[in-house]
Amino acid sequence: MRAVHYLNQFFAGLGGEEAADSSPTRLEGAAGPGRGLGIEIAMTLTCGDDFFGEHEDEALVTLLRWLTDEQPDVLVCGPSFGSGRYGYACGTLAREAARRGIPTVCAMHPESPGVFAAEGAAYIVPTGTNVASMRETLPKVAALATRLAAGEELGSPQEEGYLPRGLRRNEHAGASGATRAIQMLLGKLSGETRTEVTAAFDHVAPPPPAHDLRLETLALVTEAGCVPQGNPDGLPTIRARAWLRYPIGTASSMAAGAFECVHGGFDVTAANADPNRLVPLDVVSQLVREGRIGRLHESFYTTTGNGTPVATSTKFGQEIGLELKQAGVGAVLLSGT
Amino acid sequence: MQLELASYPVAEIDLESTLAGMAFADSRFAAVETAIVEPGESVRLTHVLDAAEPRVKVEDPDATFPGALGTLRRAGEGRTNRIAGAAVVACANFPAEERPLHEQEGLVDMTGPGAEHSLFSSTTNVVLSFTPTESVSNEEFESAVRETKLRVARDLAAQTVGREPLHVETFTHRLGGTEGDGLPAVALLLQLSSLGPLYEIYLYGTTLAGFQPTVINPLEVLDGALTCGEYHWAALRNPTYHFQNSALVRGLLAADGKRLRFAGVIACRGYNQSANDKERAAMLAAKLARELSAGGAIVTTDAGGNSHTDTMLTVRACEQAGIRTVAIVAEMGGLTDYVPEADAIVSVGNGEEYVAEWLPDRVIGGDTLLDGRPAADCGPVPVRNYLGAACQMGDLDLRAVTW
Repeated sequence: MRAVHYLNQFFAGLGGEEAADSSPTRLEGAAGPGRGLGIEIAMTLTCGDDFFGEHEDEALVTLLRWLTDEQPDVLVCGPSFGSGRYGYACGTLAREAARRGIPTVCAMHPESPGVFAAEGAAYIVPTGTNVASMRETLPKVAALATRLAAGEELGSPQEEGYLPRGLRRNEHAGASGATRAIQMLLGKLSGETRTEVTAAFDHVAPPPPAHDLRLETLALVTEAGCVPQGNPDGLPTIRARAWLRYPIGTASSMAAGAFECVHGGFDVTAANADPNRLVPLDVVSQLVREGRIGRLHESFYTTTGNGTPVATSTKFGQEIGLELKQAGVGAVLLSGT
Repeated sequence: MQLELASYPVAEIDLESTLAGMAFADSRFAAVETAIVEPGESVRLTHVLDAAEPRVKVEDPDATFPGALGTLRRAGEGRTNRIAGAAVVACANFPAEERPLHEQEGLVDMTGPGAEHSLFSSTTNVVLSFTPTESVSNEEFESAVRETKLRVARDLAAQTVGREPLHVETFTHRLGGTEGDGLPAVALLLQLSSLGPLYEIYLYGTTLAGFQPTVINPLEVLDGALTCGEYHWAALRNPTYHFQNSALVRGLLAADGKRLRFAGVIACRGYNQSANDKERAAMLAAKLARELSAGGAIVTTDAGGNSHTDTMLTVRACEQAGIRTVAIVAEMGGLTDYVPEADAIVSVGNGEEYVAEWLPDRVIGGDTLLDGRPAADCGPVPVRNYLGAACQMGDLDLRAVTW
């Protein structure tokens, strides 16, 4: 079994806060808590917590290159306990490694920002807030790492003792949904409310209105699945995993035949006849000409908002929003279907 | 109302020669192939649109599936014969790619790991595979398929008339339900899709376009008033058979006067088109439930995405009207919509989970899946492709749990 271990500067023995801005380093064999894992560590990767936080992209490129060169059977990160910066680095690296097919085990406090950063991609052993729980944590991490390295599938979080990853796995309940619904309702009517689905949807407060549209750059964003004819980038009709950006150029209208609608949730006949009804470039161009909107952002943004889990939509929104903000866009016309 | 449902076990029925004597001549079909498959056979059915239980109205066979096939006459009364343990399964691919159809693959595996994800792995299936003529439109073809499926279901059951059934179940229901000491009144808010052609549930043969929430009798649900022409995600469909044998309607009827008072069924449209339409329908459904004196309601869902918003708004409207609710919802990776009032949800499974690879000996319905993979060797298949696997009326026992 080939294991790689990630530690921050402190646990790798490179120094405390004074070394927190140290760039990624790799060490042969085990270091610090890696020696207590009881599994053979081929390489220890380390990075200063501040460096990771301030140069995340740069740190990840280096760490992931080393990791993919090494081709380990498993990556272990931490334990990072309650540490925010260290936990974030562990969770982020774990997520990226797991998405590259490397099984990953972290150990951290359930409220660490690393849990959120891992996005369910890694197995996380819950720990206490500080190093006092090291002794009880290491054997659990080692056991999961050994099994993952052997290609074993792990059981449920309850059985195995890792934090739920947010997956929704199917099981047979032993009673039909109908029977459970009747039971659940009778229970609720007698004061016992239960549910099989807990949703943690956030609430988006409407932002204040644009101060003066005549001075703003406006961007067109849609979930209507409007793409250039032929769908060159293969936007899915449902459950899109990405959004796309297409230049508008000098066009003042979305020409029929030049664009098509690939949204799988409604009859697209009318949309294909006039793609302006998905991305209202015709009206917005007119308003720009009249001076009622300052200017139009150079590209429109599109995805299919059909069967998309809220977590994915939220991510799309954050990514598009960030890009538009950096481009100086002050207002967005978001056309939904 | 009182309905007698007389059961004739499929083992005692000669399906084969009855089927052999049937004609399928129709200008909308180029071909209709028939097959009978049994549970446990190494067979995968593909392009499955719907399944219906063979039924016939004894006193008036012409009124079987009233409106959708037969004479318009109220369903839910008199005697209906059923072939127990059988289903007529319609398989077809649509002729015109006028809208994205490739998300709508419908499968039934008669054995293997997918068999647990459909009621139709354990029924003897009369499989009808339809091929359209060249020039026929999706809508004309679909209407012919739907009618033929129901006709075969009726004509297969016709041979039971005059014979002694294995057993007879008697169902009764009165609006408001059966009163009993302190029993809570419960309404069933049954969502029925109406999104346009190919996405329609039919009530007495008509779609629910423009429909507002309406009280129907639970015995009508069991007796063929509702038929399926809705071909969204197969797992999230409410197939005709699921209405005819609804575990929820049967469960509520069985509990009526004992554990609860089954106040009635309110048919609600799914896929109301505008925000106003959705709010109005939700409000009117809650209002009807109130008028039935319901203190609790079970809110079902049909298909997904947009229709989940109808479910959630209906839950909210009921809770705001003081009616406690339970919603039945399938998951698509997660929930598509949610309101904080939905504090009691039954999960009927995650359609995005995969079922392990399986290699059937035989494929019926079409050798190539709608996404282009060979049906006999297509690798793991998502649960969403299995007919009725996550039916949001709660007929199966699947549920999703957090890992």
